[in-house]
Formats: sequence, structure tokens, C-alpha cells
Amino acid sequence: MSPTREFGADPLVAETVGRLLRSVCTPDVVEHSDGAGWCAAVWDPLAEAGFPWISVPEAAGGSGGSLADALEVVWSVGHHAAPVPVAETAVLGGWLAAAVGWDVDGRVLTVVPRAESLTLEDGHVWGRAVVPWARRADSVLAVIDTADGWLVAGARPEQIQIERRANMAGEPRDVVTFDVPLADLLVAPAPDGIDGGALEARGCLTRTVMTAGALNAIAQLTVAYAHERRQFGKPIATFQAVQQHLVTVAQADVRASMAARVAIRAAARDPQTRFEIAAAKVVVDQAAVEAARASHQVHGALGLAREYQLQQHTRRLYSWRNEFGSARRWSRALGRDVAEAGADELFPGITR
Amino acid sequence: MHFELTELTDAELALRADVRDFLAAELPRGSFSPGLGMMGAKDPEFSKKLGQRGWLGMAIPTRYGGHGRSAVDRLVVTEELLRWGAPVAHHWVADRQSGPVIARFGTEELKQRFLPPICAGELSFSIGMSEPGSGSDLASLTTRAVRDGDGWLVTGHKIWTSFAHVNDWLILLCRTTPVEESGDKRAGLSQLLVDLRSPGVVVTPIPFIDGTADFAEVVLDEVFVPDDQVLGEIGAGWTQNTSELVFERGGPDRWLSTYLVVEEFLRQHERGGDVWPSEIEGLLGRATASYWVFHHLTLSVARAVDRGEEQSIEASLLKEMGTRFEQDILEAVLALVDDELLVPGDTLLGDLLATATLTAPAFTIRGGTLEVLRSVVAKGLRPREVAT
Repeated sequence: MSPTREFGADPLVAETVGRLLRSVCTPDVVEHSDGAGWCAAVWDPLAEAGFPWISVPEAAGGSGGSLADALEVVWSVGHHAAPVPVAETAVLGGWLAAAVGWDVDGRVLTVVPRAESLTLEDGHVWGRAVVPWARRADSVLAVIDTADGWLVAGARPEQIQIERRANMAGEPRDVVTFDVPLADLLVAPAPDGIDGGALEARGCLTRTVMTAGALNAIAQLTVAYAHERRQFGKPIATFQAVQQHLVTVAQADVRASMAARVAIRAAARDPQTRFEIAAAKVVVDQAAVEAARASHQVHGALGLAREYQLQQHTRRLYSWRNEFGSARRWSRALGRDVAEAGADELFPGITR
Repeated sequence: MHFELTELTDAELALRADVRDFLAAELPRGSFSPGLGMMGAKDPEFSKKLGQRGWLGMAIPTRYGGHGRSAVDRLVVTEELLRWGAPVAHHWVADRQSGPVIARFGTEELKQRFLPPICAGELSFSIGMSEPGSGSDLASLTTRAVRDGDGWLVTGHKIWTSFAHVNDWLILLCRTTPVEESGDKRAGLSQLLVDLRSPGVVVTPIPFIDGTADFAEVVLDEVFVPDDQVLGEIGAGWTQNTSELVFERGGPDRWLSTYLVVEEFLRQHERGGDVWPSEIEGLLGRATASYWVFHHLTLSVARAVDRGEEQSIEASLLKEMGTRFEQDILEAVLALVDDELLVPGDTLLGDLLATATLTAPAFTIRGGTLEVLRSVVAKGLRPREVAT
């Protein structure tokens, strides 16, 4: 499945990145990257093809292409459990940098997910945040709320303290401490449409799309395994009790995939959209939990073994759930909007 | 299995606006007692008005009184009718499945005879599938038809036949060749159109859990059905019936049954003030997200039907999770309600909650049980290459 092919993303992007990751991002490579902090075996070929800077305009040193193209790549990253900061560099950091006219020029970028993490006081920026891939980033970008409006700020690694940590999938999630004069950072006023909410929504969209990609891989893996694995003299896929789990996984895949694609389409048309991103987040989160549970049940003990790839995907699902906002926060935000619009607008909203 | 991304065209959006305007004018809120999804009341006059608007038999060719439109157009109309709780029972089955299967399998004569009144909202149909001894194992049914001159004599017993006591026609699935001769229980079945007022038909309502009597059982004792009321091929009943089930399973009636409970819950809290506890916000967010994705999946199925694609697996997959969702979301609302549910209730929400509580177990049984649907879907899940 290709998430964006149906509405104008360049089909060559999906095909190329899929083929590339299939060959370089094998389960062994993913396993070795776990906790290592960097995976050159996957990053380097992606970088050589320009994928980490896709959707960043060429004028800003990026690879060009649309947001839909970039999210196609992000979906593939999720599908192949690729341990690389492509979403952070292209869709988040690259987006902020290009918006204020900074050149990305082959740099590894990441962002502070939530603007609330940082405070500006008397010209000094301080705060703590979990930042994906901070240890390898050439620049950590953030949006900062000030009395004079939103700023985009960029910090070099030596300007911040980085405590190396990881998410449950062994991907770098470093605790970063800011304690630095604003004047020392690269700073520019944020243009319209760039603020804390917009960054978090965009980050949420990347995690939602990655999760949908991972979930699709899980569904394929689980159905295939159930047809191979034999017990009581026949494939376990022939037992009704097992079939129920397979149906659960397939349904989760179908819901997540549709939700992600509708959200990508909406964001590609209107970067300010919130409704579809929030709705997709909530749908995909629930689907991910159901699929992870059922797929592990089908796989039995093997699914928990590091030698087998199911856990590479499920650990990512569990980790990505709470990055750029949990389903709880997003469902409440969506619910608040729905409540404010009122009962008469509920169905028009659902079918908009 | 594939759910392609699609969206409504401007014309389809305009149709939705027309239906909304019509319902707001014809059935203003508070002027009628809304039903839960397809369990809306039976109101032949309302059905005729929909027919006059061109909103029944939408995908049926114009030469048979239809409108030559599409499954997507029909989806747009039915979504609006269901979310409004409109009285759809009179035409529901005829419009959803009887009309489409007659259009697909019927002779020219049958089409001329039945489709125009179906599209006008005049004829009502019941579904003659389940029997006392044949529920999920439908092919084991024993109602049989034997040759008699230029027709068939039907004897048997159908059950859970909604509105059979007040409807006009029954599409009956019955055995025309004994299993011993056909060799396979799925072979030798046929679909017949039975006039529910024929001599030999005895219909008895079945009092239901919520006090209604919309269900009925139908006993047929040597009921004569002429050859010109045979639908499609003699012996092809199983295949035809399976295609009928796509219409029965793939629509919004399988995830909107408790929608009004959610909308009314929201409306009641709107009146209550401006404080929204986080649990209510969370519920509204989750409900909205689920309805939103079911809408897009259903739209995808309708679009595929319009392209002529086979959608029986997709429809079954959708119905299985849609009907579970209808129950889950009801339970989620109930979890936020402290009041006792009285019958009748003090508010529309109270009435809807009581009716929904009592009838919710039916959501995951009618039109194919969860278990049967899962089995259908599982057969359609084939291993693919792991990496795509």
C-alpha cells in the first residue's frame, strides 16, 4: 500500500524509497541500530538520494517535492521500522528552517516537539524537553512564544545539554536542557501559520503516518505467519479462534490506513488543518493498540523474541503513541472543538 | 482487499445539502420521534416523498423509474436519513437491497413490474433468509419449492422477518433442488418473489425485547409462486443472495445505529452550561474520529461498487467493526450517565438510551453475526509479501 499515490504524490517517490528501504533496512540492520544512536547503513543511502530533505524547497537547500511526497517517505520509514530522523529533518525541522529562510544543506535536523517546554525570560531561553535524535542533529529547532509573537530558534548541539535516552524501540529520544541567551541562538520571527500548535500538529501527523505504515507491516507479517505456522497438523490460520485475531489486525490496518490517507490529503491541501490530523491520530492510536495486541497473540512467544521482526514494529507503535501528543490529548482537543461547534454541527463535521 | 481513498464531488456535496434542507423542513427536530438508524418508524407517506425527490432507487436505471445515479449518491442520502432518525422503515429494505438485486438479476418483466413502485417508495419488501433451524448456517435452510404447473409451491418457515406483517413482498431464499440431488447445500437454492398476501402465507409478529413487534415469523403452506416471480436463475440463489448481502452489509446503517445517542448527549450538555469535563471531551473526540473514519471507509466501498468491483469481503469487514462500534459508543455514553433510565424517559436522550440499550445486542446479529462475518473476512485474508 502506498498512502498518497491516489492524490497526486509522485508515484516514483514511493516506489524508489520503498525499494531502497527494502534493500538497506533489513531486520538485522534495524536490530543492530537499537540503542546505537545512529544507523548510517540506512541514513547514508537515503541522504544520498535526498530523501531526508524532501518537501524542503530547493532554494533552501532541500530536495523539493510536496508535503504529500514527504509523507509518503515517512510512511515508508514507519513500514520498514527505519531508524532514521527523516520525519524530523524533512517534515519538521526542514519546514521550520525553510519558512524563515535558513539553508538546510544536508544537515540533520530535529525539533523541540512542544513549545511549552521552553520559556523566554529576560532574553534567556530555558527549559527541558524530550527531543528525538538530538545527539546527532546539526541543529535543534524550536518555536518560542514571546510577547512580540512566535520565534523560530535554532540551537547547535554545543549550546544545549543533551542527556542520551531512548524510546522503547531503542530510537534516540534525548532529554535536552536549554539554558542559553536568546541572542546566542539563530533566531527569526515566525511567519504566519508557524507556531507551537502548528508544529505539534505537523509532528503528530508524521507519527500518525509512521504508525499507519508500521501497522500495515504488522498486518502483513501476521497474516503471513498464521499461514506458515502449523500446529495440530495444519496452519494456525485455519483455526477460527486465530482467524478472529487476523480479522482484528486487518480491520486495524484498514482503519489506520484510511485515516492516515485522509489526513495526508487534508494537510497537503491546507497546512493549517487540525480536524483531520486529530481524528487520524485518535483512529490510528486505537488501531495500533488493537493490532499490536492481536498480532502478538497470533505470533506466540516468537513475536517477543528480538530475533524476529514483529517486536521491531510493535515497540515503535508503543513509543510513537505519545510523541507529539497522546491520543488522550488529541481526542480531548478534538472533542472540545466538537463541543464548541455544537450538536447540530456534529454530523456535518464528521462528513465534511 | 482494498479500500481506495476517495471523496465526494461537488455534485455529491450539493446533494447532501439538499437532503439536509429537505429533512430540516419536512421533519423539524422535535416534531417527530427519531429512530435509531434504520430502526426509524414506518411511514409510507414519508417514503413516497423521498421517492418524489428522486432519493429512492437512485442507482436504478431511469427506464425502470430509477435515477441512474450511483451507490455514492445513495450513501449520501442514507447517511443523512439515518443521522436524522428519519422514518425509513417502509422503504429501507426495498431501496437498500431488493431493488438492486431485482435490477441485477430480474427479468425485463420483473424489472418493469417492481422497480418503478420501489423507486416511488410505494412497495415494501422483507428479507426471507433466516429460518428457525438455519441462522448463521443459512445454506441448511429447509423451506422448499416444488414444481406445480407454471410455477412453484412453497412450504416452509421463515423467521426474524422484519415488518412481514405490514410489508408487501418477500424475497424468499428457498430450496428448489433437494440436497441429495444438488450434491452441495449451496447448490439448488433459488430466490422467489412472494406476495405476503398470497393464500397460504401466515405472518405472526414476534414481540421484541423493547416491546415492539416489528419482527415476524412467516409460515408458508403450499404458497403458489408463478414462474414470472422467480428472481434470476433457478439454482443460483446462493450466489445471488451473497451479492445481495453486499448491499445489506456495506452501508452506513451498520455504524450509525447509535449516532443519535451521541448527538443528543452532546445537545443535552450544550444546554447544561459551558463546563466540559475532560471525560466528555475525550468521548466526543473518540466518537467523532470513529464516525469520520467509518464514513470514509463506507464511501470507499460505495465508490468501488460504482466501479463494478466485488466488495463482499470489504462490506463484511466493515459491518463487523461498525456494529461493534455502535455498541461500544453506546456503552461509552452510558458510562457518563448517572440517571436511571425510565420508560418513557424524561428526555429524548433518556428514551434513546433505553431503546439503544435494549436493542444493541441485535446490531451484531442482524444481517450476519460477528462470527460469520469474521469467518468471511478471514477467508479473504491471504498472505502477501511482507515488505511492500
